[in-house]
Order: sequence, then structure tokens, then C-alpha cells
Amino acid sequence: MVAVTVPRSAAPPAAATRRRRRGGGLSPWLFALPALAVYVVFLVYPAVTSLWFSLTNWDGLSPSYDVVWFDNYVALTKDPVVLQAARNNLVWTAVTLVVPLVLGLLLAIVLNGKVRGKPVLRLIFYTPAVLPLVSIASIWGWLYNPQYGAINVFLRTVGLDGLAQPWLGQDSTALAAVMVPAIWLRTGFPMLLYLAALQGINTEMYEAATVDGATRWQQFWYITMPSLRPAHYIVLALSLIDSFKVFDMIYAMTYGGPGTSTQVMGTWMYANVFQYYQAGYGTAIAVVITVVALAVSIPYVISQTKEQSS
Amino acid sequence: MTSRDISRRLFLGGSASAAALYGLSACTGAGSSGSGGGASAPVSNELRLFTYEDDTTIDLLRATVKKFDAQAGTTTTVDSLPGSGAAVYPDKLRTELLGGKGPDVWRIWGGQIGSPFAKAKQAADLAPYYAKFGWDSTVNANAVAGMTFDGMKAGLPFIAAAMGAWYNKSLFEKAGVSGPPTSYAELEEANDKLVAADITPCGVAGKFGWDIMRLFEYLLETSAGPELHDKLLSGEESWDQPAVVDAFTKFKKWQDRKWIPEGALGLDPSDVEPGYVQGKNAYTITGTWTETQAILESKKPASDFGTFLLPTDHTPARHSGFVEGYMINANSGNRDKAAELLDFIIKPETQKSLQNTSSTVTGAEPDKTKLPLAAKWAEISKTSPFYVVLDQAFPKQQADQYFAVQSDILQGSISPAEAAKKMQGIVSAWVEK
Amino acid sequence: MSSIAPVAALPDAVVGGPDPLQHRPRPRGGVAMTVVLTIVAVIWIAPLVLLVTTSLRPLSDFIARGPLSWPADFTLSNFGEAWGIGNFAATYRNSALLALMKVPLGVLISAMLAFALSKLRMRFRKTIMFAVFMGLTIPIYITLVPIFIMLRSAGITDSLLGLVGPYLAFGIPFEVLVLQSFFRQVPNEIVEAARIDGASNWRIFWTIMLPLSAPALVTVGILDAVSTWNELLFALIILNSDAHKTIPVGLLNFQGQFSSNNTGLAAGILIAVVPILVAYILLQRYIVGGLTAGATKG
Repeated sequence: MVAVTVPRSAAPPAAATRRRRRGGGLSPWLFALPALAVYVVFLVYPAVTSLWFSLTNWDGLSPSYDVVWFDNYVALTKDPVVLQAARNNLVWTAVTLVVPLVLGLLLAIVLNGKVRGKPVLRLIFYTPAVLPLVSIASIWGWLYNPQYGAINVFLRTVGLDGLAQPWLGQDSTALAAVMVPAIWLRTGFPMLLYLAALQGINTEMYEAATVDGATRWQQFWYITMPSLRPAHYIVLALSLIDSFKVFDMIYAMTYGGPGTSTQVMGTWMYANVFQYYQAGYGTAIAVVITVVALAVSIPYVISQTKEQSS
Repeated sequence: MTSRDISRRLFLGGSASAAALYGLSACTGAGSSGSGGGASAPVSNELRLFTYEDDTTIDLLRATVKKFDAQAGTTTTVDSLPGSGAAVYPDKLRTELLGGKGPDVWRIWGGQIGSPFAKAKQAADLAPYYAKFGWDSTVNANAVAGMTFDGMKAGLPFIAAAMGAWYNKSLFEKAGVSGPPTSYAELEEANDKLVAADITPCGVAGKFGWDIMRLFEYLLETSAGPELHDKLLSGEESWDQPAVVDAFTKFKKWQDRKWIPEGALGLDPSDVEPGYVQGKNAYTITGTWTETQAILESKKPASDFGTFLLPTDHTPARHSGFVEGYMINANSGNRDKAAELLDFIIKPETQKSLQNTSSTVTGAEPDKTKLPLAAKWAEISKTSPFYVVLDQAFPKQQADQYFAVQSDILQGSISPAEAAKKMQGIVSAWVEK
Repeated sequence: MSSIAPVAALPDAVVGGPDPLQHRPRPRGGVAMTVVLTIVAVIWIAPLVLLVTTSLRPLSDFIARGPLSWPADFTLSNFGEAWGIGNFAATYRNSALLALMKVPLGVLISAMLAFALSKLRMRFRKTIMFAVFMGLTIPIYITLVPIFIMLRSAGITDSLLGLVGPYLAFGIPFEVLVLQSFFRQVPNEIVEAARIDGASNWRIFWTIMLPLSAPALVTVGILDAVSTWNELLFALIILNSDAHKTIPVGLLNFQGQFSSNNTGLAAGILIAVVPILVAYILLQRYIVGGLTAGATKG
């Protein structure tokens, strides 16, 4: 949180309270309404209607269906692919949460400091995030090609022939192989966010700390990191949720394969709803994704709605 | 009035009307069942055709449709999802049908890809039109069977794609392979010679499963023979038997002996399939579209390449094939006009002008001078029946499960015997439903 | 302590610059860091160099020698071809229109909601926050069919207008969360002070919150523009006629089921990506432009 000294004297408490009460009530709702209206109509309502189908055996195409209550959820627990997908999600989340965050933070700190050519560097590190997914899948597909791909060619040139392998073509390495471009493209956002947050830190604190004899490391831990806490929260929360929902990246690079080794909940849901004509079952998977992601975000929401202690 | 009051009014007014509008439309439009049932659109002169025609040929289709419009007095819109849009084509089609705004005519693959639409009663029964226009006599009967589900003729097929080996002559020569192999043993020998000459024999890729599958189903036909193969596909015979294990053993052998590209499982078909034209692989397993898409594209002469039926050592010597056709929307108000459009498209002259190299229509064989190799296949197809491509024989879910087995066996995590057992588990579970 | 107000006028981060009060070593360290970072940047950008070289070579060269070889031939013709294949004349216009319609509007309404959530007393704050969060967690693909049905009833399928609603809705959770987090950091005292001076919430919003959060607004705006520009699935399903398609849908044209025009695709991607990069270059100074008045207003 940002420490601030406000020399101006505050108005007498009673008057301020009176004005505050009048300011509340209708006014906040006017601000909230446009966004909420759009949101409810185009997201909440369709989502809730869809989620209803998880209680049915709708195939996603016929005009009729039966209600099967929780049969889909029971089937979920017995589905070996769901287990594999959940495991993949966990691994995926752990890696694509931590690495881009750390990298992004590092880059932001360095780019906020004494470096030349900042605009160019900032642009370079952010650019992958701007690319359409089709390009990322193509480019990395070429890089990973077992015969002529840059990665294997490089390994062979430096004599590490044994390490050259079909990265995307075998169960053991496929998921890891997809995580690399994911990190590559997901580092830009934390970097951006941290940069914006770092800009808001009062440099006077650093000056004062230096005068007091604090080392740069101490300054980092005791001034920078705490000031970045809101940014940390956002990056963590958004990355976490994104990781649970991940779909596009994996779909584009491996299609869930080879076999089912890179299936995640998102791709498995898509397959069931859109390709296997099992919309009911697939929607149940979607519900599970949603519930887990919601559960994980509870601490964040609570922290954000606590009474502000600026 | 202060600016605050005015803006408050604007807010209230704007938000309220917007909410009302959307609320209304949501009420009338949404329903737990798609509005497909019952309410047919009124008869008009407007038709909509939805397809996944490649960009290289879409103009031909549009020109054809224009001609039809001129003589029938209709206005037809043609929407297309070219290229890789074909992968998401069924999703879009499905969404539109559910939303009550489906096309009057749509193109779709046969077999288990098209059957859900028939089962869900979204596709119209075309039997009356078959009778009226006499399609039975002009269209290949096997193809029609590919779009007939539960006895209902749900589609009019216009593509009967035949798949075989397409090879690069100079690479064969370089390896000392004298010509197309005529038996399976000869094919294996040819593969070894190619490997010895440092050439990758068979360019297949596993990214979506269906390309490498073409190799397996050929091996299955070779090991099991036509009758057993068909019974396996329909679930009448168990997959847990020696012939299947033999096929899987051969499958693994192709990879172990490096007869397919290294790391084939992770490769993309669109990168690998044209490889025989580029001199990267000796041959590939594909259909006649490759003549236009790969050979003509490369501007190399067709005489540099050849094609042959993959030898199965059985009689009849079959090849793998699949069907694509048009369906008519069961809820369209313009079914008769749509059928007229289809009849127009299916005429031999139209098929030729559309450059359909795999037409189901007699009299629409490809031009020998322009597309000699595709023409050769038209000849082959006259005597060689086809077995349905595995991923059309099975619904997508089972096909994906097969792809998982395929992946496991190629990576050596299961043995051929285990693979056969797994397949049996998959197929029997499906058949029981 | 007096504030360093003029900081706002200086373009690039002077915030971290040399200060007579500090005893830190001179910018010598800056050069070393720059070198290290440049090396990392080069490796980082290498895959994109691949994209550029692919777009500059003829397709035959690409096929004959493989994607990772240095081109024997250079050509600009891919760009001209790609412009036609990808139907960029139409898709550019459509994507640009969509972004211009949607992004400012989305950022505005999200900022308003964020303001209400963070600075105004509002009942049901927790519920709304949860609901907003839910929007982030739901896989959007399941909303496809109901949204299509809605749009069809309103008669706005196959039009850019039809996309605006869903795009706005999907952008809201993320934007609201980021913005409300930034807004919370604006000290309450400032807001209170303005209220005491008689300012209405609306004026506080426009004259205090937004300016102070400019970096956050720009950041959110850029991120929103990028995802609008690259969104594929909804554009694919809702839009039909070629005249209305957006850029990502147009890019599908380059990849066949059985073969790909890779050089054309590379050129097409570069064409598609350029505006976003340009916008980013122009706007990034606002993100890091040292608009730190919020922290030091005295």
C-alpha cells in the first residue's frame, strides 16, 4: 500500500459522515449499472442457462433431452480422462502461474531501473502476448520439429544428441513442450502490470531508506514487494483462473494429444460438448472447472472487499 | 439542472431500455430446446448454402450457384469456412441449427460425422427427391450408402474420396524401387530400400490422429481381409483376435523400422502430407485432392509423380474412402428449391466445372489431360470397393479413443495384444449403447 | 515534505533516475544490465524473427528448404497475396471498427463499476465481486448457443453489433478486477477531500479517479484491444458473410486441412499484428510515463 502524507486538515467528522451517507445509496448503482446490465445479459444469463444442461443428457443437437440430475457428475468421477486432465491442469497451473509471474516481475524491475532502450525492450518482451494463437502454434510447431526444428538442431550442434527428441510427439514431454510457448506469451502481462504498479511507488521511501542505510536488497523486500501486493494479487488471481480454464493454447498446439496426454479440463469439456454430442456431460465438466476456480479465488475476493485500509 | 442530474437520467433511460430490449429478445428466442422443432420458415425464393469449400474453389461454386439462380429465379447466399475452418465447421453449423437460423443446405462428411444431424432430425429425408430426380441412377450407390442412416437417405453425396499411395517417382528410382509394389511384402521391401537410401518412406503425421490412422486401417485390411474388416467396424466381430494383433504389430513395425517420419505423432498433416511433392518423403497416403492442392500448386509436372492402390493381398482389393455430401435442413421452408439446387450441382457438367476430382456422379470423371492421376483413381474406383475410413466409421468419441490407443502403441506403452483388447473394450462399449 | 509534482511532465521514467541524495554507483551498472537484457531479448524475440523471414520468402523456397533455413530468395509478394487471401480489406475495417466501438466503451463501464465497488458504499459488494469473478472462471464456450439464440432473436447475427455485447461482457470481469484494485490504492483522503469540497461522485470519477489511474486504464485498454483483435470463436460462429468477418477468421483462409500456405500465413499474421504493436508503442509511455501524481499529491 502506498504511504501518503496529507498535510491538509480534515473537515469535522460529523459533516463528512452526513455527506457520505447522502453520496451512498443510489449513486453507486448508477455507476455499476451499465457494466452489470451488459454482464448479466451476455454472460450470467447464458452461462446459467448452459450450466442447467449439466443436469441433462442433452446431446447438443436434438430438440429434446431428459433430465438425469447428477448422473453426469457421477460419471465424471469415473472417467479416466477427467483424472488425467485434472492432473494436467494442476501441473499446468503451477508452472504457468509461477514462472511468468517471477519473470514478469524481474523484467519489470529491471525495466524500471537503469537500463537503456527501455521502449524497445518493453516492446520486445510484450510482443508475444499480442500474437494470434495460430501463429504461436505454427512457429513453435516448426521449432519443435524432431528433424529440422531449431531446438533439436541446436541440441545436436552442441553435442547433446541424446536430448533431441519428438517433443510434441510423446506423452512424457508434450505437456512440458506446450508450457514453454505458454510462458513465453504469458510473461508480458505481469510485466506490464508490475511496471504500472512500480510507477506508483513513492521514490521518497527509497531515498529515506537509503539515508537510513538500508541495502538494495532490504529495500526490495521491505518497500517494493509490499507496495506491489495489490499487483501480486491480481496477477496471481488472473493467472490462476486462466490456468484452470486453459483451452486455446493446448488445442492449437497438440489438440489434446498425443492420445490424451495433454488433455486438460478445458479441452475435454470442449470435446464432449462440441464434438462428441454429449453436451450434458461436457457442461458438467464446465461446472467443475467453474466451481474449482471460484473456490480458489475466494481468498482474493475477500481481500478485495474488506474495508479499505489504504 | 446540474450535469449530475442529466447524466443520471441518461443512465436510467439508456439502461432501462437496453435491458428491456435484451430481456425481450432473450425471452422470445431462448428456450431449453432449440427452436428447431415445428416452426418452419416461410417459403421464399431465398436459399442459404453453407459449406467448407477451399478458397481455391469457392469461386467456382459461387459461379455455379449464380447460374442456378438465374434459371430458377432464386437468390442463394453461399457462406463458407475455408481451410482450417473445416475443423470448427460442425460447431458453427450446430450452433446455427440450434439457434433456429440454420442454412437451407449444408455440406457435411458422411458416416458418423453426418449421422448425428440425421438422428437429431435436423436433416431432411431426401428419399422423395431421389425418386423425383433419379439420383439413384447417377450417383454411386456405395456413396449413397455412406449418407444413409437407419434407412433414411439423409444426404446427397457428391464426393467419394478414394485414398491410396501417392509417390515421388525420382525418389523411388533413387532408392532402386522399380515401380509400385504389387503385394504387401513388396511394399515392405520398398520401404527398406528407401530407408537405405536415406529417404523417409511414408509421410504420415499424427497430430489429429486421422492421418496416421490411414496407415493403420490399411494394415488392418491387409491382416483381416474385407469381410472381417467390415465386421470389426460394425462391432459384429471382436477386436481381440489374432488378425487385429497382427495389424497392430505391423503398425509398430512401421515406426520401429523408421518407415514413417521420426516423431510422426507430433507432426501436423498439413506440413507432412505434401512432403512427397517436395521431395521430403517418398510417398504418402492421401486422396485425389492432393493432385490439385499439392502437385498443381508446386507447378511440377504430374509425370514426376504416380499413384497406386495400396496392396492388400486380398480380393477384392479395396481402398479406404469416405464420402461428403449435402444435406437439406428439415426445417427449411424451401426444401423443394433446395433440392433443385442440389440436382443442378449434381449434374455431370456442373461437377466437371467445379473441378470435383472425386465426384460420385457417373460422367463427371476428372479430365485425363489436366488431372491424370485423379483420373486414374476414377478408373480404380470402378473395380475397387472402399471400406469406410475409421474415423467416419466410429463416432468422434470412439475415434478419439482409438487415437489414444494408436498413440500408446506407437510410443510403446502398450503391446499390440493389449491394443487389440483395448479396441474391443472401446467398440463393445459403443455398440452396447 | 514537498512533492515532486513535475514528474508528470517528463516522458520516461525519471522516477528511477539518478538523485543527488543517493549514494548509488553511477549509471555504469545500467550498461551491464542493458547488455544482459538485450541478449535475453534477442533470444526472446527469435521465434518472431522466424515469422518475419518466413513472410519474406517465396513459398517454393520455404517448402524446398524448410522453415528454419535462411531464405535464398527474398520477396515482398507474400504481403500482397496475403492481403487478398485473408480478405484484409474487409477484415481490417471490421476489426478496427469493432475495437474502436468496444474498447473505450468497455473500459469506461468497467471503470465505473470498479469505482462503485472500490470507492463508493454499495450494498451487495461482495455478491457483485463474486459474480464478476464467476465471469472469469466460466469457460465461455458454453455460452455460445444461448448467446447465438439471443442475437438471432434481436436480428443482429452476422453483424459487428452482435459481437459487441458478448465482447463487452467477457471483458468486464478482468477489467473490473484490475481497475478496482488500482482504484483502491487511490487514498480515500483525496476522495473525501473532494467530497467535502462539494464534488459529486461523477465529478470525482472524471476529474480524480480516471486521471490518477491513467496507467491502469491504458494497460487494461491495451489488453482488451489485444483480446478483441484476436478473438476467434465467437467471431467465427456469429459472423457469416465475408463482408463482416474479422481478422482472426480471415486468417483461417491460409491453412488448408491438407496443406498450408505458410509464407502467406506469416505475411498475414504480420499484417494482422502491426496495428496492435503500433498502438502499444504509442501508448506505452502512458503506462510508464511517471504519472505518479496520485502518490504524492500534497
